[in-house]
Amino acid sequence: MATARPWLLLAPALAVLAVLLLWPLARVVLISFQDYGLREIVSGRSNYIGLANYAEVFADPALWTVVLPNTVGFAVAAVGGTVILGTLVALLLASLDRLWRTIVSSAVMVAWAMPAVTGTYVWIWIFDADRGIVSQFLQGTGLLDEPHNWFTDRWSFYAVVLVNIIHHGFPFVAITVLAGLLGVSKEMLEAATVDGAGAVRRFFSITFPTLRPVFAVVVILSTIWDFKVFAQIYLQPGGSGSNRSVFNLGVWSYVESFAQNRYGFGSAIAVLLTVLLLAISVVYVRTLFKEEK
Amino acid sequence: MKAPSAPSAPSVPDAVRIPARRPRSRRARVTLAWKAVAVAALLLFTLFPTYWMISSAFDGRATGGAQSLFPAEPTLENFSYVLSEAGFGTFLRNSAIVAVSTVVLSGILALFAAVAVARFRFRFRTGILMLILIIQMVPLEALVIPLFIQVRDLQLLNSFLGLIIVYVAFSLPFAIWMLRGFVAAVPVELEEAAYIDGASWGRMFWSVLLPLVAPGLVATSVFAFIIAWNEFIFALTFMDSPATYTVAVGLQQFFGENSNEWGYVMAGSTLITLPVMIFFILVQRRLSGGLVSGAVKG
Repeated sequence: MATARPWLLLAPALAVLAVLLLWPLARVVLISFQDYGLREIVSGRSNYIGLANYAEVFADPALWTVVLPNTVGFAVAAVGGTVILGTLVALLLASLDRLWRTIVSSAVMVAWAMPAVTGTYVWIWIFDADRGIVSQFLQGTGLLDEPHNWFTDRWSFYAVVLVNIIHHGFPFVAITVLAGLLGVSKEMLEAATVDGAGAVRRFFSITFPTLRPVFAVVVILSTIWDFKVFAQIYLQPGGSGSNRSVFNLGVWSYVESFAQNRYGFGSAIAVLLTVLLLAISVVYVRTLFKEEK
Repeated sequence: MKAPSAPSAPSVPDAVRIPARRPRSRRARVTLAWKAVAVAALLLFTLFPTYWMISSAFDGRATGGAQSLFPAEPTLENFSYVLSEAGFGTFLRNSAIVAVSTVVLSGILALFAAVAVARFRFRFRTGILMLILIIQMVPLEALVIPLFIQVRDLQLLNSFLGLIIVYVAFSLPFAIWMLRGFVAAVPVELEEAAYIDGASWGRMFWSVLLPLVAPGLVATSVFAFIIAWNEFIFALTFMDSPATYTVAVGLQQFFGENSNEWGYVMAGSTLITLPVMIFFILVQRRLSGGLVSGAVKG
């Protein structure tokens, strides 16, 4: 009885995870080996074609010139931006008195709580070509002669996504790093000050090493999130398929599947994304368990 | 840094103190000014989008053209339009049904599972913890194709149930991970005391463990609620009739038809955002504490 109890308690949750996460995960791999279109969906029959989908994905020049650069380049910029801004905000918060820390951290929460979908529409509105406040401001100051559409060019398209993601993502970093900062030994910092170490030196010699595990968690989680950004790209003008130069792996997979009914090809892209992320996750888990010892 | 070099001053105490203090306070004032600038810039960056959304939602002229930093014609017309004409009332109700059902189901399942991994030592325990951690990393976007086919085969497309079961599965790993920390924080002595008083395991669970992890349950519930309320890609894929749209798809569809009606779009966005924001700020402190203790300490 005593040995059965934990399994009885776990059974419902494990069943749900098995049916709705593990089986679909296996199935997306199976579908990626098939020419799976509308006909297969309706009939439920399988139609294996081996590695043809993968061959097509890797042979597609768009993968190398558009999709991977967008996915990886964006993730690097976004992770860098979120972690640096988040850390700076955490250091600022740690140096404020109680009242101001509460005020500022509440404001940071507001940015965090904004849903991705509504947040994205607000940024689209802010950068709207005709009446957006950025366009109007730039035209008002004479920096821009006529309305500029930020969403047609690949770089400015992703610049808007970057602002959106950093705005939404840095609060997690700031709050987590702040929690870690409050645990840094005051005595060591004071001793270093007495020995003549400046603020920058103190950060890199004492604070950063102490916070290593926190930074590991924050960097890896942000990497995972920023690799698979979907709504923020899909919802921007042109992001849902009409502008192929802004595809990342997730959007490409979705558009091939649900707009072109090429579920097999879309699955192959999805598998590629999953493998990339699982590789990052393995690093994450190993870091965690190493710290635990 | 130019640290004030006090020792070079004459040996008269009063003369030392005054010149030594002045540069220090000037530096403190400079630091303070920089901090004030940083705080102001940060507040502007974090709050502006939210302010702009709400301000445009109340602006009768946001749709028409030129707008200033403040609503030019304060009005509630945008809200009444999206609620009555655009169907946001239905979207909000649909999302509430889906989110509350998700919260209840995932709360029950996660609590049981968390008790199992936090309170019992059994074979494969570490394996299951690893599985839960790893599974959290699976990009849900990658599962949209198989889950679409699965839900379609079950004839649950366009039904709330189809979305609810998927959201329960998504919120479970994190909820188990969080609740595990809360359960582990309850002293085992309390449980033992209940057993000594003759309570069965079930009785102990209801009367001792449940009340003590209730705050954790509230925090994870809010988290599950927010996941279900905000989720976009599955709602977009599963729902194709306005009667079953959740808020995220409802807004996306509405924007597709009224891209230049910014007053309406922002009013709809405000209605969707406010409940989440209020919930989030209420429980955030507890949530991030749990996240850190659950994630960092493993």
